[in-house]
Amino acid sequence: MTRASGWRRTAYHLLLWLVVLIFFAPVAWIILSAFKTTNQILAIPPLVVFEPTLDNFRQIVADPNAGRFLWNSLWLSIIAVLIALAVSFLAAYAFSRFNLKATNFLMFVLLSMRMVPAVAVVIPLYLMYSALGWRNQPLAMLAFYAMFSIPFSVWILKGFIDGVSRRFDETALVNGGSRWHVLFRVVLPQIGPGLVAAFIFNLIFVWNEFLFNLLLGGRDVRNIPVSFSTDLYSDGGMNWTFVAAMTTVYIIPPMIIIYLFQRYLLVGMTFGTVRGEV
Amino acid sequence: MIPAVEFHNVTRSYGRNIIIDSLNLKIEANRFAVIFGAPACGKSTLLRLLTGLDKPDSGEIMLRGKDVTHVASGSRNIGYVPQSFALYPHYSVADNIAYPLTLLGYSKGETKPIVEYTAEQLKITHLLQKKPDQCSGGEKQRVAIARGIVKNTDIFVLDDPLTGLDFKLREQLFDDLRDMQDSLNATFIYTTSDATEALILAEEVHVLDQGKIVEAGLLEDVYSHPAHVRTMELLGFPEANVFHGTLRGDRQCETPLFTFSTRLDTGTPGGTAVYVTVRPQDIKINPPPEPGLRRCPVEITLVEDLGGELVIYLEANNISLKSVVRHDEVDALTEGEAEIGIHPAALAIYATAGGHNIGRGAT
Repeated sequence: MTRASGWRRTAYHLLLWLVVLIFFAPVAWIILSAFKTTNQILAIPPLVVFEPTLDNFRQIVADPNAGRFLWNSLWLSIIAVLIALAVSFLAAYAFSRFNLKATNFLMFVLLSMRMVPAVAVVIPLYLMYSALGWRNQPLAMLAFYAMFSIPFSVWILKGFIDGVSRRFDETALVNGGSRWHVLFRVVLPQIGPGLVAAFIFNLIFVWNEFLFNLLLGGRDVRNIPVSFSTDLYSDGGMNWTFVAAMTTVYIIPPMIIIYLFQRYLLVGMTFGTVRGEV
Repeated sequence: MIPAVEFHNVTRSYGRNIIIDSLNLKIEANRFAVIFGAPACGKSTLLRLLTGLDKPDSGEIMLRGKDVTHVASGSRNIGYVPQSFALYPHYSVADNIAYPLTLLGYSKGETKPIVEYTAEQLKITHLLQKKPDQCSGGEKQRVAIARGIVKNTDIFVLDDPLTGLDFKLREQLFDDLRDMQDSLNATFIYTTSDATEALILAEEVHVLDQGKIVEAGLLEDVYSHPAHVRTMELLGFPEANVFHGTLRGDRQCETPLFTFSTRLDTGTPGGTAVYVTVRPQDIKINPPPEPGLRRCPVEITLVEDLGGELVIYLEANNISLKSVVRHDEVDALTEGEAEIGIHPAALAIYATAGGHNIGRGAT
């Protein structure tokens, strides 16, 4: 390596670190605030050195609502995505194997549904949920998240199933295997990375979802993002300690998941077309 | 004896493309039958119809004398070796081989000795505990064949199983396949577009062209006296030379190379356009004077040395020809002008309409 290219490399890395620090600064601030008192949070200039306290987390544990919001976020995202994966796997197999004439069109429609801005569908959905009495209903909220997770999952899984040769299916069928056998004993074990990618990608989406939970949900199904908008105030002011501690609790699961499964996110973001990493 | 497989007027089309066209086929039991044809002539579709993976638009498919046209794939009791290895990556080699038996409800204890015996036959015992991705291409092919023949049945279908393997591996597997067919005393139905494979393996050969069986019979008969121009053209290595000719009223055939006398089986009228064919082995280069030999000046455009023999590419009157000669048959050959000689008896004549044989050259 020449001296000039060495310098360029160092400068490039310094720039990258600078960008990372700028983007990470608000996250670091909120995590540090989770361990401060209200006065310490509001202190000017901001305190970098302080005596950390776990009181804010104790407050969350003691607050029955906070536990429920966390639980709602958790079960809604996991169960909805699992349902979506089950439905999407069957749909993706059909799209991949049965050469339906309208496959490309249907896949396009599926993707379009996912690409439509949320505000464009929220009013009709709100009216529908209200008319059917589904607002603030756990199963209805679950159905919505499952439905919203299906398009991405179908796209990702179809890409993976296309990669499994039809000869595998045919060998099983000629030897007496049923279509269910082909689905669950032949194809499913070969698309593990696709299932993980679809699961992670949709899990993060549902975990972060705010708008539909706010409008279609209610107190019984409120998740953490919505709780920030409705449960932030106490004693007439912003409850910064609650916000900081809750945010810290809220961002830890996705951070761990993203760190562990980052290569699968690439698969999700490219609809399964880039699979080399997994 | 009841034929193992019969197709009666079977047709299969996809949209407007007719892939299998009113096809008739009869494969005798306990034979090594090769279905041979150029790529995309319908071989795989034919096998899909035979195995039940696809259904015909019309016609009847019989297995062991029974109509199975509407019988599900898994109930036809066929051993199957697919075109690619299709070994399940999540199973070990042993589990892959045992797979057809597992689907039939055999227990682990029952499959073990059968798998071990089959593996021993194919010399892959040492691979049993490995996963397919730990095996080489040749080993994978042996595993795929083992899985295909492990079933206790009398009809085995092998869909171009040696494609993509190098010749040395294929050569070893040729012997193994023939041995297995002998020891199992079963019907093997093997598709290929490789003339060498067909010539080495086939007991009976069925030539498929544009969705129809144009010729079928024992290999010796089909190779020595091809009844169809496509058989003549494709079944041989290198492929036979085919060029146009015109029959004259006086039983002479005029070609761009020379005119020769014919012995026609049918009363073909003069002025009829025909195909004239000759195998590369029957074209002599710079031959000594010989009575009856038809001669023609040519230009040698390329000489390919295959070790034991030479493949010589020739041009004469805008016709490209190939000749094969042994090293010891000719003096050193170089590109440039030369002369070829062909015995008229080596020239076969086929009708351009339908492609069937109508006679030969005569001295």
